[in-house]
Amino acid sequence: MIKAILVFNNHGKPRLSRFYQYYPEDMQQQIVRETFHLVSKRDDNVCNFLEGGTLIGGSDFKIIYRHYATLYFVFCVDSSESELGILDLIQVFVETLDKCFENVCELDLIFHVDKVHYILAELVMGGMVLETNMTEIITRIEEQNKLEKSEAGIAAAPARAVSALKEMNIPQKVKDMKLPDLPSIGNLKF
Amino acid sequence: MPTVKGDGMRGLAVFISDIRNCKSKEAEIKRINKELANIRSKFKGDKTLDGYQKKKYVCKLLFIFLLGHDIDFGHMEAVNLLSSNRYTEKQIGYLFISVLIGANNDLMKLVIQAIRNDLAGRNPIHITLALQCVANIGSREMAEGLSVDIPKLLVSGDTIDSVKQSAALTLLRLLRSSPDSIPMGEWMSRIIHLLNDQHMGVVTAAASLIENLVKKNPEEYKGCVSLAVSRLSRIVTSSYTDLQDYTYYFVPAPWLSVKLLRLLQNYPPPEDPAVKTRLSECLETILNKAQEPPKSKKVQHSNAKNAVLFEAINLIIHMDSDPNLLVRACNQLGQFLQHRETNLRYLALESMCLLATSEFSHEAVKKHQETVITALKTERDVSVRQRAVDLLYAMCDRTNAEEIVGEMLEYLESADYSIREEMVLKVAILAEKYAVDYTWYVDVILNLIRIAGDYVSEEVWYRVIQIVINRDDVQGYAAKTVFEALQAPACHENMVKVGGYILGEFGNLIAGDPRSGSAVQFQLLHSKYHLCSPATRGLLLSAYIKFINLFPEIKHIIQDVLRSDNNMRNADVELQQRSIEYLQLSSITTADVLATVLEEMPPFPERESSILAKLKKKKPSSVPEGSEQKETTASKIPAVQMSNNVDIAPPTSINLMSQGESSTDDFVDQGSPQGGSASVDLLGLGSPTQPTAPSVGSGGLLDMFDTLTSHSSAPATNGIDLGGLSGGAEEAFRKFICKNNGVLFENDLLQIGVKSEYREDLGRLWVFYGNKTTFQLNAFLVDVSTPGNLSETGLSIQQKPVGGEVEAGAQVKQQFNMACVQEFAEAPVMTIQFLYSGAQQKISLKLPVVLNKYITPAEMDANTFFTRWKALNSPSQECQQIIKATSPIDHEQVKAKLIGFSVSVLEKVDPNAENFVSAGILYTRNQQVGILLRLEPNKQAQMYRLTVRASRDKVAKILCDLMQTQL
Repeated sequence: MIKAILVFNNHGKPRLSRFYQYYPEDMQQQIVRETFHLVSKRDDNVCNFLEGGTLIGGSDFKIIYRHYATLYFVFCVDSSESELGILDLIQVFVETLDKCFENVCELDLIFHVDKVHYILAELVMGGMVLETNMTEIITRIEEQNKLEKSEAGIAAAPARAVSALKEMNIPQKVKDMKLPDLPSIGNLKF
Repeated sequence: MPTVKGDGMRGLAVFISDIRNCKSKEAEIKRINKELANIRSKFKGDKTLDGYQKKKYVCKLLFIFLLGHDIDFGHMEAVNLLSSNRYTEKQIGYLFISVLIGANNDLMKLVIQAIRNDLAGRNPIHITLALQCVANIGSREMAEGLSVDIPKLLVSGDTIDSVKQSAALTLLRLLRSSPDSIPMGEWMSRIIHLLNDQHMGVVTAAASLIENLVKKNPEEYKGCVSLAVSRLSRIVTSSYTDLQDYTYYFVPAPWLSVKLLRLLQNYPPPEDPAVKTRLSECLETILNKAQEPPKSKKVQHSNAKNAVLFEAINLIIHMDSDPNLLVRACNQLGQFLQHRETNLRYLALESMCLLATSEFSHEAVKKHQETVITALKTERDVSVRQRAVDLLYAMCDRTNAEEIVGEMLEYLESADYSIREEMVLKVAILAEKYAVDYTWYVDVILNLIRIAGDYVSEEVWYRVIQIVINRDDVQGYAAKTVFEALQAPACHENMVKVGGYILGEFGNLIAGDPRSGSAVQFQLLHSKYHLCSPATRGLLLSAYIKFINLFPEIKHIIQDVLRSDNNMRNADVELQQRSIEYLQLSSITTADVLATVLEEMPPFPERESSILAKLKKKKPSSVPEGSEQKETTASKIPAVQMSNNVDIAPPTSINLMSQGESSTDDFVDQGSPQGGSASVDLLGLGSPTQPTAPSVGSGGLLDMFDTLTSHSSAPATNGIDLGGLSGGAEEAFRKFICKNNGVLFENDLLQIGVKSEYREDLGRLWVFYGNKTTFQLNAFLVDVSTPGNLSETGLSIQQKPVGGEVEAGAQVKQQFNMACVQEFAEAPVMTIQFLYSGAQQKISLKLPVVLNKYITPAEMDANTFFTRWKALNSPSQECQQIIKATSPIDHEQVKAKLIGFSVSVLEKVDPNAENFVSAGILYTRNQQVGILLRLEPNKQAQMYRLTVRASRDKVAKILCDLMQTQL
C-alpha cells in the first residue's frame, strides 16, 4: 500500500502532499521534513529506494523516489508494493502531468494544486493503484475539463441575470418571471 | 492536447504570487494571516457567497495548508460544497475534506450523508468523487455507514467500468480499516470473477482487493488461483501490440502482471497439473524474455520488464518446488548483481536473500559470495551495502562462516553508523551459530567489542558470558584472551565488563603464569575501575569479592579497596552498599562459607539466543522464516542450542544478570532453578547480598532473589491470562452491579476505569485505560466477545476503536454502545492485549454490563403492586432465594443497593416496615418486562429472603442471581 505521496523541490518546499493513512497535521509536516532530509542528501546516481524513515510505518516501510530537475517525487510504501512498479508509477504520474500541463514545471504545481490532486486521484486511490493506462487517465481528465468549462459558462449566467434585474429596478417583474420547465430528472439517462 | 490550466481563479493566482514574492518567512506568515482573516470574515459575514467564491477560498486554504499552516475553519463550507450540483464545486469540496478532515471530525456524519446521496444518484462522475473520498479517508464510521452500498456497486451489472474500478479499491480500503463492519454477502462469491473482466483497469483494482481477502481467508477464494494463472498467461504470451493502452514501454500490462504474481504468492503451488504447467510456462516465458535484447533503451522499459521479472522470481522462491526454475532465477539475479543500474543491484541482493533460504538454491547463491563481498566494500550507496550485509547473513553456513564473519568484521570498522548496530548483532549471531571452535567465537566477540564497542548491546556480551560459562573447554582461553585485551591502553567499557566477569569466574585458570598472576589480574582490572560508570564498577566489585575466594593471597589488597572512602562513602548508594557488604562478607565468614557463596556460576539453561530475539524485534523482515528452520538443523553444535524455551523457564529462578529493575526481560528467568548452589549474583547490581544470608545456604538467598525476581519480572507475568479471567476480575465486576462508575481493574501497568449511563434499552459505557508506567504501551488492542449465544440475541455491542499506543502516563478513552435486545445472563468479556517493553500482556475482564442496568424504576401503590404480583403467578415467572447476609443487615445500606440496582423502593406497601418492596420496568429492544421484587431481611438469623417476579420467563432468575451477589 502507498502510505503517502510527497512532492517537494530541491529546497524542501512541499508542492504536494497526499497521505493515505491518517496522520495529524504536525506529524504530516514532520514526515515531509524527514523525507526531504533523507532524500536530498543522496547523490543522483545511487538507487531510488531507501529505508530508514522513522515516522511512517516502522520497519515495513520504504521510500521510493525520483528526482526530476527541481522536484523530488516521493512515494512512501510498504512491502506489498513492487519497487520497480512504483518507479514506473511515478513516471506515469509525471508523464501525465506533463501532458496535462504541456511541459510541466514547478510553477504549474504551485498554481494548480487542486488540478494536481485531481490527476493524482485518477492514478491512486486510497493508497492503491487505480489506473496505469495514461490514455485512459487523460480521457478522464479531459472530461473533467469539459465539465469545468461548461460550468464556468453556467456560473456566469446568473451573475449576468442579476445585474440585468438590478437595472430594471421593477420588483414586480421579478415575481412574474417564470422559470422554463425543466425536464423531469427521472427521464435522464447517463 | 488537453490543458488543465483552464480559466483558473484569478484571486488564487494573485494570492500565490504574493506569497512567492514574500522576501522573508515573517512576511509570508503575515500575508497568510491576512488572507486567513479575510477568508474567515467572508465565511462568517457574507451569507451570499456563491459556489465560485467558496471554491476559490477553499482552494486558498488548501494552499495555505500545504505550506504547513494549520487550518481550523472552512470545514463547514467544504461540506456545503458537497451538495452543490456543479461538478467542480463538489470536486473541490471532496478534495478539501479528504486532505483536511480526519476520520474523527464532528462533521463526518454530514459528509457521509452527502456521500450517500452521491452514491445513490446515478451520475457516475459524482459517484467516483464520493468513492475517492471514502477510499482516502476510510474511517470506521464510513465503513459502517456505507457497508451495503459499495459492494453493491462493485458487482452490479449496470455499473460502468471506471466506477467498478473505484468501488473495488474503496471496498479494499474499508476492509482494511474496519474489516468487521463490512457484511459478507453474495458479492464475495462473484468477486473473483472480476479477474476475467474485459477492462484491464477493473482487473487491476480487483486483484488488489482479492489479495486482501485472500490473506484473511485463502480457502474461500481458492478459485482465484486458476483464474489468475490464465489471466497472467494471456498477458505474458501476448505481444506488446495486443494490449495497446495497457502496454507500457513495450511491456504488456506490467502492473497487472505484478499484482497477479503477488496474488499467487498467497497460495502453495497449484495442485491441478494443467494449471501448474501453465504457470510454469508463464514463469519460464518471463525468465526467457529477460534474456531478449531490450526493445527500448529507455529506463522505463527495463523497469517495467524487471518489475515483472522480480515478482516472478519472488513467486518461484515462494513456491520453492521447481529446482530448475530456482537455479535459473538465481543465475538471473547473479547477472543483476553486476548490472550497471544501482536499482537492479539493490533488488537482486534483496531477492537473493530469499533465495538463500531455499535448500535447492542455497548452494547456487553461495557461488556469488565474492561478488557480494565486493559489493559490500565498493558500493557507494548505503542502501545497497545494507542489502549486501543482509545477503551475506542469509547465505552464511558452516562452510563459509569464518570467511563471511571475517569480512563483516573488517567492513564494520568503516561501516556507516546507521547499520553498525545491526551488523554487530548479525556477526554475533553467525559466530555463535556456526562456531565449531569456541575459541574462534570468543575472539570474534571480543573483536566486535574492540571495533564497535559502542554498538555492542547488552545482549551480545551477556551471551558471550553465558556461552563461556556453559562450556568449560573455552574458559581458560577466554580468561587469557580478555586478560590480553584488557592490556590495551584504552579499552571499551563493555570489554571491562566482560573482562571483569570472566576473570572473576575463571581468573584462577591463568593465574599459574606469573605474567598473569592474581595480583596482576587485580591491578589490571582495577586500573580501569575509575574510568567506568557506576554500573560497571558495581560489576567489578562483584568480581573483586570473587577474587577473594579465588585468590586468598590478595584478600587484604581487595579489602583495602573495598574499605577506601571512594567506595565505602561513594555517593552512589549501590556501590556503597556493595563495598560494605562485600567487606563484611569477606571479614566475618569462614573460608568454607565464602567458598560456597562465591562458587563458580552454574551453567545457564539453554535457550534461544536473546540476540536473535533482539534482531527479530529490530528488523522482523530480516530474519526470514526459512532461516528459523535452518537454525534447528544447523544447531547440532552440542552446547548452545536454539531452543525456544524462553517462556517455559522455571518460575522460581535467580535473577543473575539483572541490573536492578532495568534488567532486560530476557535475563530475568535465568539462573539455577534448582537452587543447588547459592551463588552471589555477579552481575545482579540490584540485589545486595546480606552478610547473614550465606549461613542459611540456598534457602535464604533464594528467597531473597525470589522476591527480587518476582518484582522485576512482574510486568512480564502481570495479569497473564491463564485461560480464564484475570485475577480479581470477578470481584471487580460484582461491584458494578449496583453502581455505574469506578475502577474495574488495576495492576502495576494499567488502571482501567469505567463510567456508564443507561436510558431504557440503550446504554453507553466509557472505559478509561490509564498507563501507569513510564513507557509507551504498544499494539494496544481491545476485543470484546460475548459468551455463548448472547451475541445473537441478548446484547448488541458497538465498540469504538481505540488507538494502537498508550503513551506513558496517559489515559485513553473507549466508548461502547450497548443495546439490550432481550434478556441475557452472561456479561461480555473484554480482552485487552498490549506490548509492554516487548512482552505481550493480556488482561481478560468482564465488562460490567448486567441486565438490571436496563431497568427503570417504577412507582406504584400497594393495591396495584399486589394485583400485579398475584398476576405473575406461574412458576417460571418467579424466582426465590434464601441468602445468608455477608455483612450485618443495615436498612439504609440495603435501600441504597436496591436503588443502585435500578428498582424503586416502595414505601407503605408491605405492612412490615423492615421489608422492601420494589418495582421496575426492564426495557429491551423487543419488549418491556415488568419487574417486581420483595426482599425480607431476618436480622436474628442474618438471612434474607429474596423474591423476584417478572413478566417474562428467565428474567426473574437472572435478576435474582444478580441481586443475590450484592447482599
